[in-house]
Parts: sequence; structure tokens; C-alpha cells
Amino acid sequence: MWRMWRLFDPLRALVVQSIFLFSLAVLIHLILLSTDTYNWISGPNARAVVAQKSAMPPAVPAQTK
Amino acid sequence: MAERRTSISGLTDEEAMEFHKYYIQGFVGFTAVAIVAHILVWAWRPWL
Repeated sequence: MWRMWRLFDPLRALVVQSIFLFSLAVLIHLILLSTDTYNWISGPNARAVVAQKSAMPPAVPAQTK
Repeated sequence: MAERRTSISGLTDEEAMEFHKYYIQGFVGFTAVAIVAHILVWAWRPWL
């Protein structure tokens, strides 16, 4: 395997690999952030929780005899 | 003085072997971190 470095310039290979891996990491993190389940900032199913936060119904007046 | 073999990248065999040693170290370290990250995410929320 080490013979590959007789073909590829190490500096160029490291630069290209770094750019590729960083771009892949950014892509994966953004995809995960766009999901409900794996969004670690807004919490799980944040959209569903927000949808449930509706106003409480008006209180029922106590029955008077 | 023995003539050193040249290559497309310009590295000699010794230089290529030395670089490969550190490259593999980096690869193993990166892979280990990735495996730990996946284990943590799986513990948090399994995806299967």
C-alpha cells in the first residue's frame, strides 16, 4: 500500500482528502440538523412539541347551585 | 553514492514508507473517533 505515495503527491492528497472529509462532515451534520429526531439543538420532535403548545381552553366556570 | 529511485510523486521508497506510517496512524485515529461517535449516537437514538 505504501507504494501509492510513489504515485500520489502526499501534500496534494492530504489537502484534497481534508476538503472532502470536511465537506462530507458538514453535509451529514446539516442533514441531521434538518431532521426532527437527530436535531441535537432544538431537541427531539421540536416541531411537534411546538404544534402542541396551543392555548388552553377557557376555564369552565364553577357550577353554582 | 547510490542513486535513489525516483517516482511520479518524487518520493523515494523510504520517504513513501515513512509517510505511509503516519498516514495510517491518522487513518486509525480518525476511524476510532468515528466509531466512538457512532456508538454514542446509537446509544442516544438507534437508527435501525
